[in-house]
Amino acid sequence: MTLKTGIALCGFGVLLLSFCTKNEPALFEKPANFPAPTYKFAENPLTADGVALGKMLFYDALLSKDNTISCGSCHQLSAGFTQHGHALSHGINDLLTKRNSMPLFNLAWSTDFGWDGGVHHLDLFPLVPLQNPSEMDETLADVLEKLRKTNQYPPLFTRAFGSPEINTERFLKALSQFMLTMVSADSRYDKAMRNEGVTLTEAEQEGLALVRQKCGNCHTGELFTDNKFRNNGLKRELNTDEGRYDITLLNEDRFRFKVPGLRNLAVTAPYMHDGRLETLEAVLDHYSSGVEDSPTLDPLLKQNGRLGIALTADEKSKILAFLQTLNDDTFLKNNRFAEFGLPEKPQQGSMATIDWSKVDLTLTNPVLKTSFDKVMGYYRDMLNGLLAEDGATVKQSALRMLNILKNVDRSQMTEQQRAFYALVYEDLGFDTEHVGETGLIAHQRDHFGDLSKNLYRLVKAFHLNKKPLYYHFCPKAVYNQGGYWLTETADSKGNPFFGKHDEACGTISHVVLE
Amino acid sequence: MHKTSYNHNPMKTILLFVASILVAMNTVAQKTGSVEIQFDNVVGNQDLVLKDKTYTNANGDEFAVSLFQYYVSNFRLTRKDGSEYVVPQDESYFLIREQRPETQRIVLKNIPKGTYVGVSFVIGVDSLRSASDVSRRQGCLDVGGEGKDMYWAWNSGYIFVKMEGRSPQVPMTGNRKDLVFMYHIGLFGGMGDKKTLNNIKAANLSFGADKVRVKTDDITRIGIKTDASKLLNGSTNVSIAANPSVMGGPYSKHIADNYATMFSYDGLKKELPAGKGAGVVGMNE
Repeated sequence: MTLKTGIALCGFGVLLLSFCTKNEPALFEKPANFPAPTYKFAENPLTADGVALGKMLFYDALLSKDNTISCGSCHQLSAGFTQHGHALSHGINDLLTKRNSMPLFNLAWSTDFGWDGGVHHLDLFPLVPLQNPSEMDETLADVLEKLRKTNQYPPLFTRAFGSPEINTERFLKALSQFMLTMVSADSRYDKAMRNEGVTLTEAEQEGLALVRQKCGNCHTGELFTDNKFRNNGLKRELNTDEGRYDITLLNEDRFRFKVPGLRNLAVTAPYMHDGRLETLEAVLDHYSSGVEDSPTLDPLLKQNGRLGIALTADEKSKILAFLQTLNDDTFLKNNRFAEFGLPEKPQQGSMATIDWSKVDLTLTNPVLKTSFDKVMGYYRDMLNGLLAEDGATVKQSALRMLNILKNVDRSQMTEQQRAFYALVYEDLGFDTEHVGETGLIAHQRDHFGDLSKNLYRLVKAFHLNKKPLYYHFCPKAVYNQGGYWLTETADSKGNPFFGKHDEACGTISHVVLE
Repeated sequence: MHKTSYNHNPMKTILLFVASILVAMNTVAQKTGSVEIQFDNVVGNQDLVLKDKTYTNANGDEFAVSLFQYYVSNFRLTRKDGSEYVVPQDESYFLIREQRPETQRIVLKNIPKGTYVGVSFVIGVDSLRSASDVSRRQGCLDVGGEGKDMYWAWNSGYIFVKMEGRSPQVPMTGNRKDLVFMYHIGLFGGMGDKKTLNNIKAANLSFGADKVRVKTDDITRIGIKTDASKLLNGSTNVSIAANPSVMGGPYSKHIADNYATMFSYDGLKKELPAGKGAGVVGMNE
């Protein structure tokens, strides 16, 4: 209770930061260089359980009509919560939406949501993709009904809100809680602004000055947006979408769209509301020489009889250099926001900058494949042992699995596969060793969740599974820290963390690998 | 275990507290009654029959109605001296659906006893509630529940009045596969300086010569007729051929101006026979 209250207080972050216990990371903190958030936290105080529930919902495909699309499908962490490589978002039944999915971070500072600002509150935003026939094609009423029928969600709502009731307010507020924790404020620019030992290079500083001088009327402040709607002169013949006009029906709003921020641009390509520009160079070229005049063109782009913004090649390169300082790897690789977590250990050497989610690591070597097939077999034995509470079997399977993991012929892997395997093995080997060191079921269970999590990473990256793989999560496992396991059946086959004493744990199951 | 006075005092306090609440409730109950409003959806001077009956609008277009529903809210009762009793807002939102007779009977509770000469209400949902926190959108305003088909997600706001049906005048152009017309009218004016159309209308009905007396612990029943044809007829006579589908576009203003006059007082009423629905009360109950 005390802990919970402490966390809830942390939810008010800005005002009550001093009350937070030191060992609990605050759920929401206003970065020192940011303005006060606009979201009314008092109406939806963040709690650890509320955020966890929101995250669960965010990544649950149950939110879509045919249970195939989750929020996370079109808002991927490593892409700044946009959709990798999609100009227009890709929704249900392979339908495309009419606009590029917007990045999701620093939402606590936003006032209008969506490219046309048609939604005036973050809490109400999830209704849009939920109901859009080309996104999730569902109704909230149906989703709530589906959630009520699951075993896993009512206990999670109890944890978050005090009773198992699943209703509109709780659903929407849990999603907001998770989304509000997505704060990106740890870029090199931020560290420089906060005097955290980072100094921008000369070119970057000149780029910053240029952005403030030439782009700063719209891309203003620390969020680099004035949150207004403007027509930036994109060629209309390519797209008749009138943006803000659809909401206000005011002629002056024709072709106006929200001014987006400039953070994490390195991963949010393509750009503009319809994703028509693939690179930042193309964006700058648009502003310097591609602006099309029209009755609602922003006056700032038509000054002194000149269309667009005068930019020399040198200025463009400095602006591009500065924009890179707004990329925030701390945020983009933060496990707190990831569906199942990415490799956590710091990466070294030539592999340090690799984004593993973008690298094809598919394992084709037949000898290695046979080895890993055996690993999967021993994992199944281990799982069955835990279900039956047979510590000796669990121990034996773990030792056999460890033997293969340790001795697998790494020389048969590509350089990238080897680097990735080394990362995963560090954790996977550790937990497997612990499961195998004793026949004590309690100790085995303490390590089984992380073992499963890291095995999942391996299977996913190396494409080791032959059948669809299901990922299960029991929030009560391992002293309420939660635990994972994998099966090749949709049924979780019981609960390895509680075995014969299975209780209502609120297990979430996903199919994760086809 | 020590037996100290601590064990006794709290109980006494609780009993006193409960007693005082009972007294307070009783005091209120002694001075108030209820007003039941029976909505009767019609088309001109004919009863509204869904699907099977064909009507004609002022423009000469034939149409049948398959769905008709609307929000009424923020009720006020006017006394002879011009003063008003304002029904507490949380108990003052109703969604009337032609398809569900039980929604056509609404009950305004705890009305101070006395004689009233008129009633006024908002057609739709007021802008304050349209902009309120999601916790204040319960009952018929629950966008994941009772109000699910009366809300636009993409342009946050309630649909105030919804009428759908079929008409031979609907042009079979574009993607249209059916002779279906749809009028979904909403828009509350937008937030702050970000204005949208404001289609919120108010009805202000006089009880005429009727003396509507609210008596203690009693229910006074009145009727209100809702003329669905008014969406199409009025200051703008709507051509279904020209405007078969109106949802939040500029033309919605004309339909809202039209339906502002669709309500009329329909006299004192008797208790409805059993089976005509249980009646609905304010949104939080």
